[in-house]
Amino acid sequence: MWISKSVPVSAACLLAVLVAPAGVGAEPPGAVSPTESRLLNRSVPDVPLQLADGRTVSMSSLWQDKPLLVTFFYRNCHGICSPFLGWVRDAVRDDGGSGRDYRILALSFDEEDTAADMRSQADALGLAGDPDWLFAVAEPEALARVTGALDFWYRLDPATGQYDHGALLAAVHEGRVARALLGGSGFVERFRIMARELRGEFIPFYTVPNQTAWRCFSFDPVSGRLYMDWGLLILGVPTLVAMAVTFGLFRRGPRRG
Amino acid sequence: MHTTPATTYPGTIGAADAAAPSRDLAVPETQSTIYAWMLTTAALFVILALLGVYMRLVQGGALAGLESWFYPMMTLHGIGMAGLWFVASMACACEALRKHVLASSAVAVFALAGTVVGVVLLLVSVFMGRFAAGWYFLYPLPLQGEWPAWSAVTFLLALTVLGVTWLVWSLDILRAVAVKYSLSHALGWHYLRGETEPAVPPAVIIVTVSMIVNVVALVAAVVVLVLFYLELLTGRPSDALLMKNLTFLFGHTLVNLAMYLAIAVVYDALPDYAGRPWKANKIVAISWNSVLLIVLLAYFHHLYMDFVQPATVQYIGQIASYAASLPAAVVTIFGALLLVYHAPMRWTLASVLFFLGLMGWAIGGIGAVIDSTIVANVRLHNTLWVPAHFHTYMLAGFGIIVGHFYHCGRLQAQGRAERTGYHTVLVTLLVASACGFLAMFYVGGAYSVPRRYSVYPIELAHGATYALWAAVFASVFLLTTVLCLIEVVGSWRKGATGGAEAWVGKSAVAGSLRPSTPNAAIGTSAVSRVDQ
Ligand code: HEM
Repeated sequence: MWISKSVPVSAACLLAVLVAPAGVGAEPPGAVSPTESRLLNRSVPDVPLQLADGRTVSMSSLWQDKPLLVTFFYRNCHGICSPFLGWVRDAVRDDGGSGRDYRILALSFDEEDTAADMRSQADALGLAGDPDWLFAVAEPEALARVTGALDFWYRLDPATGQYDHGALLAAVHEGRVARALLGGSGFVERFRIMARELRGEFIPFYTVPNQTAWRCFSFDPVSGRLYMDWGLLILGVPTLVAMAVTFGLFRRGPRRG
Repeated sequence: MHTTPATTYPGTIGAADAAAPSRDLAVPETQSTIYAWMLTTAALFVILALLGVYMRLVQGGALAGLESWFYPMMTLHGIGMAGLWFVASMACACEALRKHVLASSAVAVFALAGTVVGVVLLLVSVFMGRFAAGWYFLYPLPLQGEWPAWSAVTFLLALTVLGVTWLVWSLDILRAVAVKYSLSHALGWHYLRGETEPAVPPAVIIVTVSMIVNVVALVAAVVVLVLFYLELLTGRPSDALLMKNLTFLFGHTLVNLAMYLAIAVVYDALPDYAGRPWKANKIVAISWNSVLLIVLLAYFHHLYMDFVQPATVQYIGQIASYAASLPAAVVTIFGALLLVYHAPMRWTLASVLFFLGLMGWAIGGIGAVIDSTIVANVRLHNTLWVPAHFHTYMLAGFGIIVGHFYHCGRLQAQGRAERTGYHTVLVTLLVASACGFLAMFYVGGAYSVPRRYSVYPIELAHGATYALWAAVFASVFLLTTVLCLIEVVGSWRKGATGGAEAWVGKSAVAGSLRPSTPNAAIGTSAVSRVDQ
């Protein structure tokens, strides 16, 4: 929204006299991305997919009995795809829930990719033969429906032959998005939280992908515990100030005369 | 209106016993700004209430084409009314306190000027920038809306000006109390030990409690604003849970204080009409000291739907909401009933409005207690039940304020007859139209009509019907209020010399502008000033 960019600029102009304008005009470093929360509860279309082993299955058959983690990549990527798939693989291993709590689908968005490319990608990641890791391609129209539903953007750069694209992992439960994670800092920690939720655990905590100042609570996804954070101290500041002011004003006692 | 002759009843303290020691005429008094506050309050109340009627008409579908202004106007109406009620209550409480403590005249004028500047900034933000984040500007909405960035910044600046002004004002009142009383006396702790001396007026205890809590609320507002500014400057977002907690620590507490300050005024002025004193005692001290703690925890009921808030805090919120209503409300209302029962009561426009104000507080309070019960809140949350209960006690609070303005006017207008018949008609119309207007909110809430909908969808068509009826009742209410305000402003006419001079710009000396005892002006013989 345009206001989120123009507010800091206007505010900085108005407040320049009061505060040293350290960040004036700069793009916020950890700007809130609304994408993750926007995807929640989105309906995902049921499209046909061709798996690495050549079988054709419907997407709904993959989320029928357990949630499906969907991510996108393309075989020829020189950028984020392989590292991101590596993160997902490691996070899944670390969590130990694959097969029991969910299965994973890596869907190629490059129309040039074939089932053979999918096999080689699985090999490269050491996941060939893992029944809960599925690599697939789809017809262009089906692909467009899935990527459209999940707001996954990609654009071919003709100069390099590479795609400009994001990194997304969406947990689909009974055809709807239950959680979405954008790649980036804190991914592994947030993956753990998502995995706990997929096991039916209620997590009263949602870290957004930015550097929130002074949180009231933090959640440890390993132990599953919620613990108090510095923000709670700020909540106590008004009462402490009022007490200090009151005792300060009344310290001298009533004046005679 | 019926006037009971002033007599001394068995078991009560009559005129002679209750007469307060007269003030030393040489002791200076804080300059009164009450007249200026009265004019400001009257003008703003009428404008803001008109916006309320506009909103009900839009919700009723009667103003096609004007819907786009609904949310800016809702924001202005909400923050305007809540703020106006607070400052009007502060002004009245200060006026009541003038005979007990000496606050700074400069700060009193500063409070008026700062409030006017803040209001102008609010008007610019809402009318020119169409800022529309609602009265408590819940984070992060002010930074995310469709309005221009400058209007959000202007709104925050308006709140900064108002917050700082009111903080300075509150601190000065506390300072003034501290000059005359020790903290334990100002809070009535000696009553808890069974001592009765020194006799501290209940108004002093209530105002001291309120000002301490007020500092908490206003510092919370300052912290919220600082966090908003930090985000604007650095782009680093704040924790939404922290911001919501701080916002309601400020907003919820502030409107509660507005009521408490109005109550202090009733404690101070109602005895003038009852012909008996209303003294502080152990129960009064216990009740208002418990408010000091409880009112700061009651706001948790605004976060029942926030699952991130730990469950324990939610239960504390429910218990505190119940507890907050007990000591102050029950003790005050019971005390007022005892004061009036078999008293040589003099029912005038002022005393009737005081009494109705207390009743409205009780009724709105019951609505609030229902809503703060978690199992009921699941159904009532964000329905019209919410505006229903807060409009009940906010209108009641304004009733007390208007009553106090009239009371002050009568102090100036010595010997002038009151138009009791006309006042009876006005009060009857006020009560009837307010009941109709409020009932439409309550019924809407009970039938799950959501609050803050500018236009109701077809599934909520019944909401539009209630809104139209409410608009009719509100228009009658507004018209009657205007007539009432004319009476109130008129009540200062006879004492124009005193009244007009007293309002601002002159350093007044006790006794020079006011009759030696208020009842001398009102026409009864009993007084109840219990000053030391
Ligand atoms: C004739 C008198 C009044 C009328 C017709 C009126 C009408 C309204 C209406 C229609 C709403 C919006 C309800 C909704 O959420 O759908 C509203 C909200 C509100 N009113 Fe009033 N009102 C009146 C008096 C007052 C008074 C005396 C106060 C306070 C002292 C007050 C404070 C508020 C507040 C704080 C809100 C909430 C605004 C928000 O949700 O941001 N109103 N009023």
